[in-house]
Amino acid sequence: MDKIVGYLPILIGGMGVTIAVAILSMALALTLGAGFATLYLRGGRLGRAVTTSYTTIARGIPDLVLMLLFFFGGERAINSVLALMGYERISLSPFFIGVVTLGFIFGAFLAETFRGAYLSVPHGQIEAAQAIGLAPRRILGRIIFPQMLRLALPGFTNTWLVMLKSTAIISIVGLQDMVGLADKAGKATREPFVFMLAVILFFLALTAVSGNLLHRLERRYRPGF
Amino acid sequence: MRFDLIFKHADMFIDGIVMTLELTVASLAIGMLIAMPVAVLRTMRLPYIDAVLRGYVFVFRGTPMLVQTYLVYYGLSQFEFIRDSFLWAVLRSPFNCALIAFSLNTGAYTAEILRGAIEATPKGEIEAAQAIGMSPLRMLRRIVIPGAFRRALPQYGNEVILMLHGSTVASIITIQDILGAGRTLNGKYYLAYEGLVTAAVLYLALTFLIAGAFGIAARHLQAHLRPASTR
Amino acid sequence: MQGLEPSGALRLAVRDLHKSYGALEVLRGISLEAHQGDVIALIGASGSGKSTFLRCINQLEDCSQGEIFVNGEHMDLVHRKGRRVARDPRQLRRIRSKLGFVFQSFNLWSHMTVLENLIEGPTQIHGMHRDEAVTLAQSLLERVGMKGREGAYPAQLSGGQQQRIAIARALAMQPEVMLFDEPTSALDPELVAEVLAVIRDLATEGRTMLLVTHEMAFARDVASKVVFLHKGLVEESGPPAEIFGAPKSERLTQFLKHVRLN
Ligand SMILES: Nc1ncnc2c1ncn2[C@@H]1O[C@H](COP(=O)(O)OP(=O)(O)O)[C@@H](O)[C@H]1O
Ligand SMILES: [Mg+2]
Repeated sequence: MDKIVGYLPILIGGMGVTIAVAILSMALALTLGAGFATLYLRGGRLGRAVTTSYTTIARGIPDLVLMLLFFFGGERAINSVLALMGYERISLSPFFIGVVTLGFIFGAFLAETFRGAYLSVPHGQIEAAQAIGLAPRRILGRIIFPQMLRLALPGFTNTWLVMLKSTAIISIVGLQDMVGLADKAGKATREPFVFMLAVILFFLALTAVSGNLLHRLERRYRPGF
Repeated sequence: MRFDLIFKHADMFIDGIVMTLELTVASLAIGMLIAMPVAVLRTMRLPYIDAVLRGYVFVFRGTPMLVQTYLVYYGLSQFEFIRDSFLWAVLRSPFNCALIAFSLNTGAYTAEILRGAIEATPKGEIEAAQAIGMSPLRMLRRIVIPGAFRRALPQYGNEVILMLHGSTVASIITIQDILGAGRTLNGKYYLAYEGLVTAAVLYLALTFLIAGAFGIAARHLQAHLRPASTR
Repeated sequence: MQGLEPSGALRLAVRDLHKSYGALEVLRGISLEAHQGDVIALIGASGSGKSTFLRCINQLEDCSQGEIFVNGEHMDLVHRKGRRVARDPRQLRRIRSKLGFVFQSFNLWSHMTVLENLIEGPTQIHGMHRDEAVTLAQSLLERVGMKGREGAYPAQLSGGQQQRIAIARALAMQPEVMLFDEPTSALDPELVAEVLAVIRDLATEGRTMLLVTHEMAFARDVASKVVFLHKGLVEESGPPAEIFGAPKSERLTQFLKHVRLN
């Protein structure tokens, strides 16, 4: 048990990696989500087809499978292209692969959240804005967008909490996050139980704290208040 | 793409499908057995018991299933008293360890889904049952639970798909499921795509099948929620 | 209250019923008797306590004081944890099964078909054989004009149809007394008549009924007695001709002025 005290600084560093991966993945997911939601709503039939294909793949294939595919297949695909162009081979870091995988998967969830939020803004309000002569861009900025944020917040919270837990799989391709470090430490000390228990406590703390903050935000900005 | 290699190892993938389905279905079944009493008890808000059940749900929904699986598979075998006990017969098998972790995990999620559905029972339907003199237990059995199952169907379908996807964690602890088969193929021939792409396609197909099955079930079991075209 | 000849056995008696929500005393001592075949209309302004009174009778709400007798059986109520509840849950269920309750919002069980709604009570509470319950249900469906809709789900029916099914469901328990809480208030105007017709039929065949309603014309036609509630008290009661023709209290006069008699 005292061994864990020695490893504590390392594990806390690992928690930093976990948080960093989660935040960067979320940034990518938000970008993809907003982009694909716009494509779906404004991109005509082709835009809807592209978005639907994307969300189907991102939500229909397990995260672990996608990640391994990106890790092994993605690297080889990029290197084939680079070789054709006469460049040196590169190797993709687990961190990069993790962010891309999670961003790709959860971008699909957020695309649906954003699309739903957009469609939930009552059409009458848009008409009322048009009626007083507000330009389309200002309608988007002043009427639709603020309401979308409130409507999308619960979906965002949920996506964040699920994604936070999904970061654990990146340790499988070698990321030295909480899980990866605890796995290593557990094997080194022959006490995997304590280290996994510590990881569980760290995850509970992370989900509890960030979930709490986001739920508080939801209550503050609940539609209608 | 070396399709010939994929087809040459078709039986490995078929075994993988069987393993994935076995693990998923068994976990969901045990999870449901856990979830039903947990959900019902949680709606009763009994002192102490409720705190324990809330703890269970909080821990298993708040942490990654990969870590839960590690805890059971690597963690428990650390203790000599477990290795020396009858438990070792169960815990030495990776399949059993995965089954335990997965069942507890999906049990927690399913309990929350059921609890929400139970608590969404229209108050009037309960009053109508009380008014004809139903006992609380009978009301639970005849009115609350059947209604809750129907209401929970779409969300539960989602949970089934999440469980299918989550079961890929099994391949990390040496179980030859679909992903395990894909990784074996890639490793054997030093391939980058074939095995994993095959696995991805198989998981995608299974996901479609499950979503379709729940869609059909919802159409039948939730007929009662659709207003008739004439009203 | 005098001058009303009881037409038969005492089916329901309520003595001095009190009920509070926090500091608000909603029922302040209501007594009422219903004999076999009585049709008692409860009228009064919104918030006067009509629903609460009806719900207390079959203990959907607990009352703080007062006694309830159904078919001569005294409901045994005791104080527990600050509430007054049935001492014996089995007695409560037995008494409830003798009181048919029809809700304003129907409250059909949405996952069950019409037939399943009707046979649920008889098979589960009375232990009736399914075949027998189905026969009973079918005759009741015929009575409420819903024959042929056995397989429909509540959501597929109009409000008026749902309420007629709800009445049939209550009747399927073969209750001694029927309690109606504004059975037509949730209905579109064009659907009110079909439900009132069913209730009128029940009155004609000699059912004992308590009916909270805002349909004054209906109350005047069908009721054998009208009770006017005001702020949790019986302000005035008597035969419909007196209540509607020659109201004594100022409040009843005011109330009747506000509701349209047609
Ligand atoms: N659950 C409750 N909590 C607090 N007050 C209530 C509740 N139900 C009813 N009341 C109050 O009790 C009074 C009587 O209500 P009710 O019996 O529904 O009147 P009516 O049916 O005659 O319109 C009203 O003042 C109402 O606001
Ligand atoms: Mg009322």
